[in-house]
Amino acid sequence: MKLLKIAAAAATGLALLAGTAQADDKPVVGLIMKSLANEFFQNMMAGAQAHEEKRGDYKLLAVGMQNETDFESQINAVENFITQGVDAIVVAPADSRAMVRPLKKAMEAGIVVVNFDVALDAEAKKQQNIELAFVGPDNRGGAKLAGDALGKKLGAGGKVVIIEGNPGADNANERRLGFEDSVAEFELELLDSRTAHWETEEANTVFSNMLTAHPDIQGVMAANDSMAIGVVKALESAGRDDIIVVGFDNIPAVSPMISDGRMLATVDQFGTDMAANSIDLALEVVKGGPQLEGWVKTPIELVVAN
Amino acid sequence: MAAASLAIMPQTTESPAFLSVQGLKKHFGGVKALDGVSFSLLKGEVHALVGENGAGKSTLIKILSGVFPYDSGSISLAGEEYRPANPHVAKELGVQVVHQEFNLLDHLSIAENISVERMPTTRLGLLDRQEMNRRARLALDAVGLTDVDVKAPVSSLGIAHRQLVEISRALQSKSRILILDEPTATLTERETRRLFDIIESIRADGVTIVFVSHHLEEVFAICDRVTVFRNGISIGTDRISETTPDGVVRKMVGRQLAATANEADPKRTPGEVALRLDAICTQANPKDKGVSFDLRYGEIVGIAGLVGAGRTEILRGIFGVDPLRSGRILQAGTEIRFAGPRDAIAAGIGFVTEDRKDEGLILDMPIAANMSLANMRAISRTGLLQFSEENRRTREGGARLKLKYGKISDAVSSLSGGNQQKVVLAKWLGRNPKVLLLDEPTRGVDVGAKAEIYAILKDLARDGVALLVVSSEMPELMTLADRILVLAEHEIQGELTRPEFSEENILKLAYGQVRQAGGQTQ
Amino acid sequence: MTTQVLSETMPNATRFSVRTALQNAGIGLALLALILFFSVFTEHFLTPNNITNILTQITINLVLAVGMTFVILIGGIDLSVGSVMAFAAVVAGKAITLPGFGPAEAIALAVVAATLTGVACGMINGVISAYWALPSFIITLGMLNIARGAALQVSEAQTIYSFPYAFEEFGSAMIYGVPVVFLVALLLVLVAWFVLNFTVFGRLLYGIGNNEEAVRLAGHSVYWYKVAAFTICGFTAGIAAIVYMARLNISSPIAGIGFELNAIAAVIIGGTSLSGGRGSVIGTLLGAFIIGVLANGLILIGLSDFMRQMITGVVIIVAVVLDHYRAKYASK
Repeated sequence: MKLLKIAAAAATGLALLAGTAQADDKPVVGLIMKSLANEFFQNMMAGAQAHEEKRGDYKLLAVGMQNETDFESQINAVENFITQGVDAIVVAPADSRAMVRPLKKAMEAGIVVVNFDVALDAEAKKQQNIELAFVGPDNRGGAKLAGDALGKKLGAGGKVVIIEGNPGADNANERRLGFEDSVAEFELELLDSRTAHWETEEANTVFSNMLTAHPDIQGVMAANDSMAIGVVKALESAGRDDIIVVGFDNIPAVSPMISDGRMLATVDQFGTDMAANSIDLALEVVKGGPQLEGWVKTPIELVVAN
Repeated sequence: MAAASLAIMPQTTESPAFLSVQGLKKHFGGVKALDGVSFSLLKGEVHALVGENGAGKSTLIKILSGVFPYDSGSISLAGEEYRPANPHVAKELGVQVVHQEFNLLDHLSIAENISVERMPTTRLGLLDRQEMNRRARLALDAVGLTDVDVKAPVSSLGIAHRQLVEISRALQSKSRILILDEPTATLTERETRRLFDIIESIRADGVTIVFVSHHLEEVFAICDRVTVFRNGISIGTDRISETTPDGVVRKMVGRQLAATANEADPKRTPGEVALRLDAICTQANPKDKGVSFDLRYGEIVGIAGLVGAGRTEILRGIFGVDPLRSGRILQAGTEIRFAGPRDAIAAGIGFVTEDRKDEGLILDMPIAANMSLANMRAISRTGLLQFSEENRRTREGGARLKLKYGKISDAVSSLSGGNQQKVVLAKWLGRNPKVLLLDEPTRGVDVGAKAEIYAILKDLARDGVALLVVSSEMPELMTLADRILVLAEHEIQGELTRPEFSEENILKLAYGQVRQAGGQTQ
Repeated sequence: MTTQVLSETMPNATRFSVRTALQNAGIGLALLALILFFSVFTEHFLTPNNITNILTQITINLVLAVGMTFVILIGGIDLSVGSVMAFAAVVAGKAITLPGFGPAEAIALAVVAATLTGVACGMINGVISAYWALPSFIITLGMLNIARGAALQVSEAQTIYSFPYAFEEFGSAMIYGVPVVFLVALLLVLVAWFVLNFTVFGRLLYGIGNNEEAVRLAGHSVYWYKVAAFTICGFTAGIAAIVYMARLNISSPIAGIGFELNAIAAVIIGGTSLSGGRGSVIGTLLGAFIIGVLANGLILIGLSDFMRQMITGVVIIVAVVLDHYRAKYASK
């Protein structure tokens, strides 16, 4: 089922690049996402496509990217959408600064732009002199939810480490800051903080080594669940069941770990619905609703064992 | 181009030495490469350096051209101490070398190659192509390549022309001493004669020429004096007019050479037809008329011809290296088709290629590994190497060919040219081939090893092996072959039997001056 | 030149014994120096647990590097191993989670699926680059993308999880503190060493790396030997996939990004020449250790991520420069 959808999306993408998307009387929404190799966006895309079918009153053009840092192709996609004269662009920017200029062009062309998932940089928006609302979860707040869960369990003086996402990525930064907020609030002791590039095997290696250097670690905050899995496996290999792990994203693979206590908590930001919700908001504006303002926060939820 | 003309006739004027080498020594680790070399060069003379491979000529050249420093002794150039720190300094001082292995950049144009050391620039600092091409034109004209386009890539040139381009490049910069290392190794007789003309004109301009060669006839044809090397020592310098080839060879080998060179062998009686070539057309052959001849067991057939006559292509075609365009090869009356060398080898054929370094040997691998390369089955059982068997066979093969080496595990690159060639031979002899194809079997091989290789090949023929030898050295073919096929433009121009052998006869056919009646043999 | 006439005092070794030994000794010394350094400057480096960790952590890279050694020895390169590993892991992950199999059958199925996937990808690399004599750099770059795309396609970009317990057991099993997966890698090294040094196949791979034409003219089918080298490299990527799955108990389609570069680094640090024909799999083993020890030690020492990356880069360059001199010295 999903395979077909990916194929369909790829076909849409191609059609779009060729610039042959035909006009319809339905409003056209261009959806720009990040790497479709990432489960999170894969699910989000599936959600958006299901949403298009369900509503049936708009046409969806979706594009993804090769990898997380490939913002070049996002800029191209924006330009193509402008040429095609779509009604709205819903975008999860790969770079919070680089995307501001092309999106400004789109707005000047009269296209409704909704920024979701990662907020565009406030400073850059000011420089380009644009007002653009952000629809999305509070990554920092979400990370703090997970961090707080850990903090409550450990109490003041608990020794923790952070496994970060890609250095330089905005959501990685936000999540690290959220964890650090928890560290400050619960007076935890932060022993070390390192990147594992969102990846399981690297997290496994990096965390094993951190554990050797700091055998007294009590808690681990991983910036996504893939890395949390690597941490859990490292703990199993080391025979340690006294260290508490929290993650982020709530991917299916961690639900057994949360049920059996190998992980304390993760955070669900309802990625599947996020694009669909943003499209709803964009269509409101297209139909003449009021402009969006500020930060439209989407729900986040701490996931723990029942 | 060259310095002002100083008409010195070295044969008559004993001028003071221009370059003088005294007691030169050079060691590599424990190996004495040079162990006391003394000789001198006069201005405007052609001076030959001869000696077997490994006698120290190459090391001396590398010292003179600034590649290696020397350990002790002294060199003076035009009265001043000469101790070049690197090749660039040597060039600045006017000492140029044309190496045996070419240093040309294949994909660049001839003009770019000629100017590569000092590219002409415009006022803006950009490459001045016109000037570069103009200089190249002059340089090529000077070596007689008037019909070659300077913009053509070097890769489009034949090996002989590359040699001349290399020489013209050396002559670009002001040369006081021009060292030619085996310049004729890849040239045909005609090209060699042209080179000699060029050498004469350079010498007339006052340049001293050092001529390194294994070919004594050339030394005696062009040189004024000759210095003989043996085992890192200079044995002595003679005026050419006062010595004989025999005398030089005696000095080189330090013993009387068994007089085999041109002496006729006891008659061999050819046996059955080993291979019958029926109108073979190779890919390089532009015409449709192929080559036909028989090769019999127990005979040595020579193939003569100029470079580009299609000699090598025939051998490669027989061996299945390059597919044939048309024609048939028959073995014992039935047609055989080789999809590749593998099939040819299975049919009992061996192929000693022209290019030892690129096609014949794996230079960085041990002698033993090279010798067993074509015969892996003999030294392995179910895919596993049997080292004791390999070592035994290697020692046997080495002893059979009087190979001189340190250890059988030494890399082949540590051997002299003659010994390397023996390894190539040993590789094929290990299979006891019924037919052996040889392309320039003694290129870059010293006199002593040459005689040994000839003896080996003759023994093989006596034992019933069919040998097909391609060579640019006519004396070699006349020594070895029972009959010589002369090739020009991919066609057999004629066949010579022993009584008809002479350089003149071969050349006449090779240049297409005469065409033997019924030249095709069947 | 000292050439002596045939004497009876010749050693049996007909391989590159002296040169290789010298080379490995050099790399071994560098490794020893690193170990010494980290032992002195960190507290936990030489503890049994940390040694176990290092062995676990180098396993995947070592397995990939063994296959890579074959390809580099013939003068090729395989950029696709990281992606092929992910593809093999995903295919095996799908196989192992098929309903209706007992744990033993599921594991066997997964192992077969992973190795077959790896072998197939490697063989395609080899056949295409050898048949058309194309640079393997570009062919395997293509395969890098194909395999990654295939991994994402097959897995629908989802992490595959919940493997049989026995599989997980294998991934974390130890014998006297030595991870079983590392022993598997070591076994691969030994087999590769044997093949390269004691078989006709190995001899000819060295030959092809040095002078392909000479090997061809000696009647050997260079084509098949090349295909075989790439196939072996694909096979080790399949084995690496199994190790990955057993160790982490998941199959991730984004696994192994950049692993090819680590494997190449291990091979080159280990003294194998990028132009082929020279090197040894023992060197590769040492090279993998150097990379692993460095990654581990620099974290223990508390260096930041960015400094760590820089130092790893510096070490790779220094190792290759040193190897240049070592090779020069050895050939004198």
